[in-house]
Amino acid sequence: MDTPLSLLMGRAVRASRPVYATLELTYTCNFACRFCYNPVERRNQRRTKPLPKPDLKPLAFEEILGVLDQLREMGVLYLTLTGGEPLTHPRFWDIAYAAKARSFAVRVFSNAALITEAVADRFHDLAPYCLEISVHGAKDETAEALNQVKGSHQALLRALGHLSARNIRVYLKCVVTRLVQDELSEIKALGDRFGYPVFFDPVLTISDDGEEYPLDLQASDEVLRKLYLADGLNIGNSPFQREPGDLNCTVAAGTIHITPGGEIQPCTQWKQAVGNVRERPIQETWATSPILEEARKVSREMPELIRQGTDHHAFCHHCPGLSLLRYGDARRLEDQYVRVARIRAGVAAEEAAKAGPRVGIRS
Amino acid sequence: MYEDGRYKRNPDVSWRVIEGQAVLVHNREGEIEVLNEVGTYLWEHADEPLEQLVGNISRDYGVAPEEARRDALEFYESMVASGALVAAET
Repeated sequence: MDTPLSLLMGRAVRASRPVYATLELTYTCNFACRFCYNPVERRNQRRTKPLPKPDLKPLAFEEILGVLDQLREMGVLYLTLTGGEPLTHPRFWDIAYAAKARSFAVRVFSNAALITEAVADRFHDLAPYCLEISVHGAKDETAEALNQVKGSHQALLRALGHLSARNIRVYLKCVVTRLVQDELSEIKALGDRFGYPVFFDPVLTISDDGEEYPLDLQASDEVLRKLYLADGLNIGNSPFQREPGDLNCTVAAGTIHITPGGEIQPCTQWKQAVGNVRERPIQETWATSPILEEARKVSREMPELIRQGTDHHAFCHHCPGLSLLRYGDARRLEDQYVRVARIRAGVAAEEAAKAGPRVGIRS
Repeated sequence: MYEDGRYKRNPDVSWRVIEGQAVLVHNREGEIEVLNEVGTYLWEHADEPLEQLVGNISRDYGVAPEEARRDALEFYESMVASGALVAAET
């Protein structure tokens, strides 16, 4: 149902007025996740070519303040601080408080390993809108096999204890890989233990420079089928309602993304740089970039193209950024989403068959 | 009741005016409020003297000053009750 908030947000997005921004503070991370898509060499990633050398200096603190001022002027309300691990940024707290002073609703994406009691106290004082924390397994060995850091899972459990004791809002996120595929219920139970919901994501993101090693970790069809059949997991199995004129997503319309070196992108996934905050005002780039205009066009066209592209369109998401990165074509449906749509449609058919024929006095 | 006006916004409440309406995010509670046009005006000018705001609303919306005053006070009371505003020290 449309709420006053969703109507307002929808109106802003259709008018290409951004309300969400993502600020990647750093690619530095204390973990070495095997599926990490950042353009940084982590261990045990199957690369076919060396990474290009970073050619941009990270934004200085004063430059980040300038970015925050501009995003506020543009009307951005929700600001996500991410990385890498944002807590490894030497000025993380200064940036977070500067965002609060500018009245952003701050979201922080973290692996939580650096969240000690003292850090949890600082988060309590900061009052972010939420923390979104990655979960890599329900057991030490599972998590460590993915993030390649000894003790990471125990650090997560301690952090969740500190955060929940302070009533800090946390959403847990779990990418469904073959490493965690047998532990999904236990991961949900882990969230329940601390009072935090877990959101499962069956789609892996290829690396920023187009390498496909994350796909080596894909879960099997059967696991995804069970995932969508399972009760109580935050996946959802209802068909999408797409209305004429809908946008596919908020890319380049409601969302803006800025990299550690100040490059502006249409979103987190659409990796083309459309400008740099050091070159000209963000609003000017936002209003004049032909790439952003193309991204908006893709977003307007996609609902119809998805209908044409798959029989299971009512279950099919589309990430134009991921398609562009993987195929060089933002309009081409990406295999993982098509696969998930096929599985979801099958599960919906199974559930309908189990429920039996619908009987009623009206058709 | 704080009839002289002048309120301070709670720094734990994030906000923006989106498409002409203030959206308030109560970060600690996770609640979101959307204000109407007059509420947005009162929110944006919460640190200004009440009588000045009442005069402006009365003029711009063609309502009697007493009615504008009553509505503004009611609005501010509700904002204080929700924790979005606190009465500023004078």
